[in-house]
Amino acid sequence: MAVTFLIGIAYAVVGSATAVLLLYAIRHYLLGYTRLGIETPKDAMDLVGFHMPRVTVLIPMHNEERVAGDILQAIVDSDYDWEKLEVIPINDRSEDKTQEIIDGFALRYPFILPLHRTGGASGKPAALVEACKRATGEILVMFDADYVPGRAVIKMLVAPFADPEVGASMGRVVPHNIGDSLLSGLLSLERSAGYQGVQQSRFNLGFTAQFGGTVGAVRASALESVGGWNPQSLTEDTDLTFALLLNGWKTAYVNRAECYEEVPQTWSVRRRQLSRWVTGHTECLHNYWPDLMRSRFLTRWEKVDALFLLAMYWTAPMVVAGWMASLLLFFIPEAHQTPWLPVALAFLGYQLFSNQATFLEIGVASMLDGTRIRSLLLPLNLFNFFANTGAICNALRKFYWNRFWGSGGDGWYKTHRTRGTAVNGAGGNGSGFGGGAGPAAARSATGLYHARERRG
Amino acid sequence: MAFLLFTIGFCAIFYLHFAVAHRAWRRIKGRQSAELDMDYVRLEDYFGQSFRTKLAGWMKTLPKATNGSTGLRVFDKGNERIFVAGGAQYPAGRKEKEILVIEGDFNCGRNCDFEKELMVKGNCSIGPDTQLQALAVDGTLHVGEGARVRRWVDAVKELTVGKDAVVKSRVTSRTSIELMPGSQALSLFAPEVFTEGRFENGLQIELTPAVIAQLPHLEKDAKAAHGYDPAKLFSMGGNTYLYNGNLHLSAPLHLRAAFVVRGDFSCPKESLLEADLKAYGSISIGAASVVKGNLTAGGDMALKPNCYFQGLLHAGGAMRLSHGVRGLRDKTPVAAYAAGVVTVESNVVVNGKLASGQRVVAVSTPVAWLEGARA
Repeated sequence: MAVTFLIGIAYAVVGSATAVLLLYAIRHYLLGYTRLGIETPKDAMDLVGFHMPRVTVLIPMHNEERVAGDILQAIVDSDYDWEKLEVIPINDRSEDKTQEIIDGFALRYPFILPLHRTGGASGKPAALVEACKRATGEILVMFDADYVPGRAVIKMLVAPFADPEVGASMGRVVPHNIGDSLLSGLLSLERSAGYQGVQQSRFNLGFTAQFGGTVGAVRASALESVGGWNPQSLTEDTDLTFALLLNGWKTAYVNRAECYEEVPQTWSVRRRQLSRWVTGHTECLHNYWPDLMRSRFLTRWEKVDALFLLAMYWTAPMVVAGWMASLLLFFIPEAHQTPWLPVALAFLGYQLFSNQATFLEIGVASMLDGTRIRSLLLPLNLFNFFANTGAICNALRKFYWNRFWGSGGDGWYKTHRTRGTAVNGAGGNGSGFGGGAGPAAARSATGLYHARERRG
Repeated sequence: MAFLLFTIGFCAIFYLHFAVAHRAWRRIKGRQSAELDMDYVRLEDYFGQSFRTKLAGWMKTLPKATNGSTGLRVFDKGNERIFVAGGAQYPAGRKEKEILVIEGDFNCGRNCDFEKELMVKGNCSIGPDTQLQALAVDGTLHVGEGARVRRWVDAVKELTVGKDAVVKSRVTSRTSIELMPGSQALSLFAPEVFTEGRFENGLQIELTPAVIAQLPHLEKDAKAAHGYDPAKLFSMGGNTYLYNGNLHLSAPLHLRAAFVVRGDFSCPKESLLEADLKAYGSISIGAASVVKGNLTAGGDMALKPNCYFQGLLHAGGAMRLSHGVRGLRDKTPVAAYAAGVVTVESNVVVNGKLASGQRVVAVSTPVAWLEGARA
C-alpha cells in the first residue's frame, strides 16, 4: 500500500515537472523562432539623436578604483549634448581611491556632480534612492561602475522615450572577458541568449522587456509615480520592471545600445550573484503576482508572459524533484508494471523536444551575433546548467527558510571585479588615468576603450 | 561483445561531443571580446562622409599615373581604378566603370551609367534616366528625372531629387533637399527637406475654435462628450493617461498631458497637442493643428493639411504628410519615421529627417483637395 502511494506521488511529481517544463519549452521555442522570423516592429533607431531630453546618469560605486576612471571617461566621451547631461557618480562609503578619482573628474567637468555617501542604508537601491533626490534629468540613465558604454549608448537608450507609454528602456550587455575562464565563456553564451534572443523577441511580440538596472534608463516621472526604487529589494531592477508594468508603463528594449560588462570568472562569485538574483526575483514573484493577474492594464498574454518570467527560477527545483522521482520509479520494481512503451515514448519525446529548448535560444543568439566559435562551447553548457540548478535550489531553499522563520536574508552583495591593475603608483583605477586625473589619451588596461580628447 | 561495441561507440560519441567544444574553448581562452565598436555614433550623412575620407586616403597612398591622351590622373586600386579629372561633361548614354573624381563642375546627359561611386567637388547635374552607384557632391546637386541611384546621395549645398527619380538608400545634404513629385528615397536628412510648390504664405495657423475638448478631463462627474468617454480614462501617474478604446473626437482637442490611446485616434482641425500622444492603432490629426509633443502610432499616421509639428512622428504602419505640413523646431531637427511607406504631398517642409522602413515618396497633392481648399 505504501509502495503504491509512493509510486503515485513519484508519478505526480514527474508528471507535473514535465508539464511545467514543457510549457517553458514551448515558450523557449516560440521566442527562439520568432526572433529569427519577426522583424523588429518598433525600432527607434531612426529616431536616435532627435529626442534629447535632459538626462541624469547615475553610477553607483563602492570601492571601484579599478574601474571608476573608465566609466566616467566613457560618459564624458559620449555624444550626448553636455548641456543636457548631468552625471552623478554615487560613492557609497568607498575605502579605496574611488572618491579621489570621482573628484578628479568633477573638477574638470562641471556636469559631473559627485554624491559621497557616508551614512544611511547600504547597497545599490539605497544609493539610487538618495541620488534620485538630487537628479534633475527627465530621464535617469543607469550604469554599474564596471560597465563601459560606447559613445552613442545614452542617445540610444533615450530615443524610445519619445513614446509616452515607455517608462523604462533597457540596453544590451556584452561580456568582454569571454576568455578569462570557462565560466565567463559560458556566461557570455547565456547573456547572448538572454538579450539578443529573449529580450528582443519578447519586445517584438509586444511584451515588456525586463529592466536590468544597468545599461538602462527610466523616466523620472514614471519612477516617482510608482514610489521610486524599492530599497528593500535585492533586485531593484526587476522590482521596478513590474511596478511600472502594473501602472501601465512599458519597458522598451534597445538591442543596439550595447555595453561591455565583466561577468564572473569563478564559481564562488557566480553563485553569490545568482543567489541574489534568485532571492530578489522570487520576492518579486510573491509581491506582484496577485496584482499582475488582476491588472487592468495588461492583456491575458502579457499576464502569462509576466508569470513565466517571475516564476522562472522555480523550474530548477522542479527539475531536481523530477530527477529524484524518476530515480525512485527506476529502482522500485512495482513501478515497472506501468505500460512502459507509452511512458518511454513520452519521456523520449520530452528529452528530444524540451531539454533542447534553452540551448536553441543560445544557438539562435549566437547565429544572429555571428559568434560561431563561441557557439561550439554549447555542449559544455551542460556543466553550467547543473551548477546553476544547484545554486538556484540552494538560494530558494534559503529564501523560503528565511521567509518561514521570518529571518533576514543575506542582504546586498556586490559582485567582485577583476578588471584592471594598479598603474602609475596611483592605486590603480584600471584605466591608466592615475587617479582619474591623467591624460585623456590614456588607454584602458583592458584595451577595450580608447579615451579621446575633450571636445571643444 | 555487443555490449563492448556499444560502450566504445557511446564513449566515442560522448568524447567527440565535448572534444569539439574543448577545441573551441582552447581557441577562445585568454581572448577578450571585440564585438562592439565603442566609437560608433549615428551620423545621418555617414555614407557621404565615410566615402570622402576613404577617397582622400586612397589618393594620398595609392600609386598614381597620368593618362596622356585624356589628361586624367589615374590611381590604381587593386581591381578597380580611380579617375581624377578637373571638370567634365559626359554626353548622353556614356558608361563609366571606374570610380570617378571630378575636381570642378560635372554634368552628364540622359541615360548614362556609372557603375562605381562618383565624387564631384563642384556643382553637379545628373541627366534624366541615368543609373548611378553612389554620389558625393561638395556643391549643388540636381538628380535628373527618372534617375536611379543604387545606394546613397550626399551633397554639401542644395540638392534636388528630380521627378520620378529613385534613391535606394539615404539622401543627405548639409543645406536643403527638394523632392519633386514621384521621387523616392529610403530616408532624407537636411536642415530643410521640402517638396515642390513650397508656399510660405500658406503657413498661417490661428487656433480659435469655438468648442474645445480638453484632455485629460478629470472631473468626477464629467460626462461623455465630443466622442470622449471619461469612464475609459485611467491615470498611469507621472502626468500620463491611458484611454482604453478608440478615441475619435468631434471637437478640436487641447491635449495637456501625455496620452496613450489603446485603439485608433483622430482629432478634428485646429487641435492643439501640447504633450506626447500614442495610439496602438492609427492616428489622424486634423487640418491646421499644432503638435508640440511626439506622436507614436502602432498603425498608420496622417497629418492633414497645414499641420505644424515640433517633435517626432513614429508610425508602425504608413504615414502621410499632407499639403502644407510643416515640421520645425528651435535648435534641434525634427524627425518623421514610418515602418511603412511615407507619402509626402506638395508644399511640405521638414527641418530634419524623413525616413521609412520601405520608402519615402513625394506626390502631387490631389487636385481635388486643392480645389476644395480654394473653395
